[in-house]
Amino acid sequence: MTIEREAIGHPMPVSPNLDAQSATSYRMRRMARGMRGNLLILACQLGLLAILLGLWEFATASVQLNAFLFGSASAIWGFLVQMWRDGSLINDTRVTGMETLLGFVLGNVMGTLLGLALWYSKFISRVVQPFIVALGSIPIIALAPICIIWFGTGLASKVAMATLSVVVVALITAYKGAMTVDPDQINLMRTLGASKGHIFRKLIVPASVGDIFAGLKLTVGFALIGAIIGEFMSSSEGLGHAIFKAGSLYIVPKVFAALTVTISLALVLTYIVGKIERLLTPWRQV
Amino acid sequence: MVLMDQRSEAGRSPRAGQQAVPPLAVGHIRKVFGEDTGVISEVIADISFSLGSGEIVSLVGPSGCGKSTLLNLLCGLLPLSGGQVAWYGKVTTGMPKRVGYMLQKDLLLPWRTALHNVTLGLEIHDVPRGERQTRARQLLDTIGLAGFHDYYPSALSGGMRQRVALARTLANEPEVLLLDEPFAALDFQTKLVLENDMARLIRSQKRSLLLITHDIEEAVSLSDRVIVLTHRPARIRAVHDIDIDVDRTDMMAAREAPRFNEFIRAIWSELEVRERA
Repeated sequence: MTIEREAIGHPMPVSPNLDAQSATSYRMRRMARGMRGNLLILACQLGLLAILLGLWEFATASVQLNAFLFGSASAIWGFLVQMWRDGSLINDTRVTGMETLLGFVLGNVMGTLLGLALWYSKFISRVVQPFIVALGSIPIIALAPICIIWFGTGLASKVAMATLSVVVVALITAYKGAMTVDPDQINLMRTLGASKGHIFRKLIVPASVGDIFAGLKLTVGFALIGAIIGEFMSSSEGLGHAIFKAGSLYIVPKVFAALTVTISLALVLTYIVGKIERLLTPWRQV
Repeated sequence: MVLMDQRSEAGRSPRAGQQAVPPLAVGHIRKVFGEDTGVISEVIADISFSLGSGEIVSLVGPSGCGKSTLLNLLCGLLPLSGGQVAWYGKVTTGMPKRVGYMLQKDLLLPWRTALHNVTLGLEIHDVPRGERQTRARQLLDTIGLAGFHDYYPSALSGGMRQRVALARTLANEPEVLLLDEPFAALDFQTKLVLENDMARLIRSQKRSLLLITHDIEEAVSLSDRVIVLTHRPARIRAVHDIDIDVDRTDMMAAREAPRFNEFIRAIWSELEVRERA
């Protein structure tokens, strides 16, 4: 009986070290396979981009498409080089990046804290729900003039715009994360003797991290849009300013050049958020 | 074995008088849902029993008879509609102390390693970090998870996860364990091994166990007493003292006992599964 018990018995009858080693090598092999897959995807993405740019260039060069109205890949590149040389590329990116980042952090901190705090009181959350919906339904562009009046034409008004674009989404995702925690899990905490504070700190907050990060990835773009709208309204620098100015002067390729930089900024910011997520949630990738 | 020493130091309720005062006494409890909405459904009609110190008692009932509701009533997660629950001789309405609770779902926190899942209850009770880690490590070793302390739950098998859940329940040194179908999601072999290990742990440490299950074999092989419940609204249909004369920490030996099948057959017929299925 004991032999049989041992055989089917304890989870890993062999030395756990051995098993840990084989698990590590398995993980490394899988990682290598994953990296090869990632490279293939990256190659395809770059290929697709090259084909699109090539078609664009071909269409405008062969007079099918008016290069003055539609720009061309080579003209966009020319403007990118020019913006790099005169320093405006770095400066505009820095300005818009700073506005976006500040608004992103501020909006997410406030939204997440509020969203999680609403878990504490069902009563308060029901009272404020229509207000949140109302706030969320305001087109952010309608607030831009007010932001300029309140916060001036400098950095603060753009940060305010970016924050406003982020805060409601952050609040809703955090609240959803907090409210969708398994009630059995909460009961278990209670049987372990946990107070509401314990449950909040040890269960609700960490359990919401996944939703919060989903919100972070979403709101990077929103913060950038908010900052750009703010710059459209009134500004003297930033990528939104560059786009607006080039657009008013009918310099279409320059609009696209600035847009390209904006997109790159969004990609970089999203990538950083993803990196931070992987760093902070090691249990989610096994 | 280390665990046993700790327990005696931890100071349980005085041994004297334990005959008189069972850890858990349930008197005529009743639970009705929907009293406020008008759509009344009576889940538990009238249930009374007691759980003695060091005793293992199983509650067996047809599916949907309100077994889980009963457990939630006992540990104060749901309010009673009638009757009373006395823990250690005192009528209790809220969460009882020194009681551990475990469900079919392991409910491990995915962001904590096995070790830190086990220390959860100790953190809540403000046990110092060093002590709680030592205790959790000893428990995980005792329960057959040496070498897996730092694994996240997602890297563990179902049986191992349930072991971690059991260790988490035991870490708080509960005098009584309330388990609701703890092994129902496991395959037969894993389940048998876990039952063996649990019986060994609980019997050696003289803890009491109330097990809710639909698995008749599990109930008979593990318990000193099996209480059979009726269909909803649940009452007590029969009580069996499982007086088989074998090592009660060996689930296979129990199955080979002469009277084992007799109990199984009796309980099976009392469940009236056939008429309803």
